[in-house]
Amino acid sequence: MNTPLRTRLAIFAGKLAAAASRLAGRGEGMIIGGTVALKLSPHALEDLAQGRVAALVSATNGKTSTTRLLATAMSQGGPIASPTTGANMTEGAVWALATGAPGAQAVLEVDEAYLPRIVKETQPKVVLLANLSRDQLDRMSEVAMLARKWRTMIEENPEVLIIANADDPIVVFAAEKAKKIVWVAAGQAWTADSSVCPECGTLLTRDEKTWSCSGCGRTRPTPSWNFEWKATKGKTSATAVSPSGEKFDLSNLNLPGRFNASNATMALAACSELGYNLPKAVELMSTVSAVSGRYAIVQSGALKVRLLLAKNPAGWSELLDIMPPAPTPVIVMINSNHADGRDPSWLWDVPFERLAGRTVIASGNRRRDLAVRLLHAAVDCVVVEDPFAPDADLPESVRKLDVIDCAATYTAFQKIRVGALGEVDA
Amino acid sequence: MSKTVKIASIYPTLLGTYGDGGNVAALRHIAALHSITVSVDEISPGQKVPANADIYVLGGGEDTAQSAAAAALHASGALAEGVKNGAAVLSICAGYQILGHTFLDAEGKPSAGLGLLDVTTDRLEKRAVGELVAHPLSSGPAGISAVLTGYENHGGFTHLGSGVEPFASVTSGIGNGDGTTEGAINGRVIGTYLHGPCLVRNPQVAEQLLSWAVDRKLEHIVEAEVEALRRERLDFVSKSR
Repeated sequence: MNTPLRTRLAIFAGKLAAAASRLAGRGEGMIIGGTVALKLSPHALEDLAQGRVAALVSATNGKTSTTRLLATAMSQGGPIASPTTGANMTEGAVWALATGAPGAQAVLEVDEAYLPRIVKETQPKVVLLANLSRDQLDRMSEVAMLARKWRTMIEENPEVLIIANADDPIVVFAAEKAKKIVWVAAGQAWTADSSVCPECGTLLTRDEKTWSCSGCGRTRPTPSWNFEWKATKGKTSATAVSPSGEKFDLSNLNLPGRFNASNATMALAACSELGYNLPKAVELMSTVSAVSGRYAIVQSGALKVRLLLAKNPAGWSELLDIMPPAPTPVIVMINSNHADGRDPSWLWDVPFERLAGRTVIASGNRRRDLAVRLLHAAVDCVVVEDPFAPDADLPESVRKLDVIDCAATYTAFQKIRVGALGEVDA
Repeated sequence: MSKTVKIASIYPTLLGTYGDGGNVAALRHIAALHSITVSVDEISPGQKVPANADIYVLGGGEDTAQSAAAAALHASGALAEGVKNGAAVLSICAGYQILGHTFLDAEGKPSAGLGLLDVTTDRLEKRAVGELVAHPLSSGPAGISAVLTGYENHGGFTHLGSGVEPFASVTSGIGNGDGTTEGAINGRVIGTYLHGPCLVRNPQVAEQLLSWAVDRKLEHIVEAEVEALRRERLDFVSKSR
């Protein structure tokens, strides 16, 4: 491949900067590497992409997991360049392409707001759009605004094949103008951000499977791919159904929950469009058990924990369902640092009532907000600043558990992950 | 004493983006502490807004949703009738702007509010995002004396007319946008930019609304968890200044 000299030099400089950053103990150096490369060669992303980018994955929730599932499924055809750390802005994309196997197909996770720019510069074969919901409103766009930006992006890039969730009306509004589109009925558990039509503001009519707008006549597009999820008495089953009616059993996925099976269905639809063997794709996706620390079991101080990450009400609401049933206690850590969003008012949008019957260890720098939320939800709660300290005042029931679920916002999650004594069982 | 207080949560699907559903949860919770029975009606657009509620609650929302809510409330007329009947109203952010004469829609064009508060809203130069601390005025409702704490996230500059009093005076944050006042009040109708949610972090406001509804004074009940949260938030603001 013919990368312009300027970009090659810029990447070299970026690698030096990344190495220096690693030596200084400041992490893996991807952001700094990508930043330096882009400074020196503003078209670095375009130069590096040149037809290599197979897929971009964007959504409010599940970007990192879906990207991992798809990249793993596609590895059947050889090495894939894909970031492993959730660095999902322009710098991260540059870095994944610059450091991945030379010439390898790339699968990139992309931040919702950066998607238009990265689509334009990388001209990917497919773009996966899974869901849009409220997220960190102190610094991010409101949902409808983001959807309008995606809509313009799609109109301006008609050659790109869009794979989109037909069950999320906001995603449909964003994607419906695509020239080439594959609709997936990937489900939508969180409907609070799509109660009204993003175009005309009319309250949407919903039933079990479909939705429609009586104001402008917009309806749920007929999906090519379907997804079935059943949960009965703690047992779950998931099936993806292809446009030709072929069924793929996703029950052996190692990643838990409805949302991950839904992510796998989106990934499978992408594999199909990109010409991969689908049974092999399912088999490979089933080998993914932890994604950048999510669902990993780690030793943190005196406790062995299963790490769960959620950043917003839609994510939390699905996470509550994969926790073990009452009375098993759980740890919930809420931070409000920059990367978490400064305003945890969204705690009041999460159905924490579902945790009733167990003790919640409330921690993180916004543990007092959580304690009041749980007080109102009539959920028993113990506020502990550092539950992993050897002398932490924890209930007996917590100490007795082999592994305790610890659900955390981004910075709390990262802190445990980085500070952990190593993954016990990844 | 055994009166059931009727709470109407107005269009929470449109006006509830910033956790404002917590205000209704707080009313329920605090009413229970005072042994007051409440019924909560969650009104979706298309459903009839009751004119006989004791307390109406409106939260914040995105621009498109705000316009949809304003249009539906105009068509209904029930909120104005409720206020005439002596009901109390708590309106937050986009909900507050709707109660005024005009607010700006998604395209920046003025659209008509309900005119229940003598205020008009246009744009702040820079969006107001962050912790908001304000002191209730001594001329305000008797039950609200403690400092108010919350989180604001809005682009609206709300100008107060002569028919309202400020709800509070800002000590940290932006509030209405004039540098001093936060929110507006006229009789039992309150508008404010306090999310947090407002009634969770300021239980006295909830008690005042309930007190109007049951027509008797309520002694403030202190809950340790809530006090700890208030203290922590107020400390955070004074330390970061």
